Amino acid sequence: MAEGGDVEWELSKENIQPLRRGRDISALHQALSQQQDGLSSAINQQRQAFESELRMYEGDDPLDVWDRYIKWTEQTIPQGGKESNLNTLLERVATRFTEEKKYHNDPRYVDLWIKFAETCPEPLDIYRYMQAQGIGVTQASLYIAWSEEYENQGNSRKADLVYKEGFKKCAEPHDKLLQFHRALQARVARQVMMNVQEEEDSDDEPKQSERVSLVDLKHRGKKKAIAPVNRTGPAIRSISGGLQSRGAPVLGNASNSQLVIFDESKTQSAGPSEPKMEPWMAPPTSRAKENEQRPEKWCDVKLPQKSKFGHTVMAPPPPKPTFQPFVEESDQPPTMTPCKINPAVNTVLSARKPCREETPLKRLQEHHLQQKEAESGRPQEQSMYCKELLLSGAAEFCFEELRAERYFKKMAQESQEVRGQMGQASASAAN
Amino acid sequence: MTSTLKGITLKGSAELVAEFFSFGINSILYQRGIYPPETFTRVTHYDMSLQLTTDPKLKNYLTNVVSQLKEWLFECTVQKLVLVITCLETNEVLERWQFDIECDKSAKESSVPREKSIKTIQDEIRSVIRQITATVTFLPLLEMPCAFDLLVYTDKDLVVPEKWEESGPQIINQSEEVRLRSFTTSIHKVNSMVAYKRTDSV
Repeated sequence: MAEGGDVEWELSKENIQPLRRGRDISALHQALSQQQDGLSSAINQQRQAFESELRMYEGDDPLDVWDRYIKWTEQTIPQGGKESNLNTLLERVATRFTEEKKYHNDPRYVDLWIKFAETCPEPLDIYRYMQAQGIGVTQASLYIAWSEEYENQGNSRKADLVYKEGFKKCAEPHDKLLQFHRALQARVARQVMMNVQEEEDSDDEPKQSERVSLVDLKHRGKKKAIAPVNRTGPAIRSISGGLQSRGAPVLGNASNSQLVIFDESKTQSAGPSEPKMEPWMAPPTSRAKENEQRPEKWCDVKLPQKSKFGHTVMAPPPPKPTFQPFVEESDQPPTMTPCKINPAVNTVLSARKPCREETPLKRLQEHHLQQKEAESGRPQEQSMYCKELLLSGAAEFCFEELRAERYFKKMAQESQEVRGQMGQASASAAN
Repeated sequence: MTSTLKGITLKGSAELVAEFFSFGINSILYQRGIYPPETFTRVTHYDMSLQLTTDPKLKNYLTNVVSQLKEWLFECTVQKLVLVITCLETNEVLERWQFDIECDKSAKESSVPREKSIKTIQDEIRSVIRQITATVTFLPLLEMPCAFDLLVYTDKDLVVPEKWEESGPQIINQSEEVRLRSFTTSIHKVNSMVAYKRTDSV
């Protein structure tokens, strides 16, 4: 039944991340057949080769190695995930060349950034950051990815504005940008048309009262209670015994009131607002934070100001709250109110804050700041070993590995020279 | 239809295969986003839910093609059906879905039904369509607006019908090819394959 067709890919189709560019089917087959027991040695060897190439590269296009490495990773480890190290790699490569002006509008670099953004929780922040840093501002792909993100979030007006910005910057290739912009407009127009149509439809037909779940029905029949066929409107018994809430009996007509849904795409007239250029002096607050409190009015809210030791602090004690706030047993209230102790005397050690909110973007900006500081000549942590080399890829190298790498390289060169002296030009050509 | 019989005749086989193409082509058009998804409606067939177009023009076109195809299948003169997906702007061929049809021409002479139940055939067809759906795992994203075209390869001596014209093969250069499953009604055998533009480099 499946002659000629290797069905491996179909059996594990859920474990294959779709790629924008598609997959090399032979690489996919190979990857899937090798996958039985974790990462096979062949893959590890290749990865090691890439890792050492990253470190030993001496040409003038270091991005090339990264680009090849990342593409290889995508194709070879189709399920993605942590062990592919893809996220780490993308982050490293993005950070690494932020200062290299020559790569800023290199399509490869911009593509890597976009891939990086897509792995982040807040891609929009990354795109804004890219814009502020001048990465990819003349590349159509940035604006396309950016706009698609807005569109995915349902903000088609902003999506349109992003394209406008792209046109203003004369992003290349212009045709592609134009095409995608047109496609966006077509999609939005179709959406609006469909909404209009739906509205017309709903106006035409008489409003049917909806059935309400879990309500009592008036029974029909005198001797036997028979549920009515028509179960809406007057057939519903309005007051029933039991736990029926007196305040708001849910009736048929109540459920008819339609929720008015605000449709952003229809209010086009609001006037276009320019996408703001943010200065990015400080890292933005990460929006993925949980349990964050919204700013609200505080004047009515009273804070209990009694410390554990019972001494009142300035303000008169507030009236006790009418409820008992829940305090977890393990959760000790702060033992001391922050008070003015001479900082010179204060040698109390405290544990490092355990959860510093870390997003890739934040790390990126920190890195950026550090570099700025280094440029301005401020004293900085400086490692007296080649930290860069050890940590540059996704895996960590040890000194011995680096030494071995150099040694083998030297050996290869020497043997080549020897062979060259022996006049075997063909051997060196093959190298 | 031959649903009450155990065997399958040439006519029934032609109908089954034509039906497969109708659903298969619809599936591809839906999966690959050639037409907007909201112009499709869901139907249940082969015990699975499939998408059928509601676009009147497309529907009309497909009915025409499929009925013509049925005729050719009945005459056993068709060799291949190819669905070509091209970029609307550049006319570049991006994807090529090829269905090779092997006809057992001896069925034309003897009208004895073949032994194969419809259920098994439909099972096979179902797995082909499933596989078509699963191809999104490796096919590249079609970023541009695309058009599609249907090519039918027939025996050479066939008179070209009115609504058809001769065409080139529309081959993709530098393509990646993936064979899909095949099915057979024991009279017609259909081998499926998809070819797509190779990714730049690995």
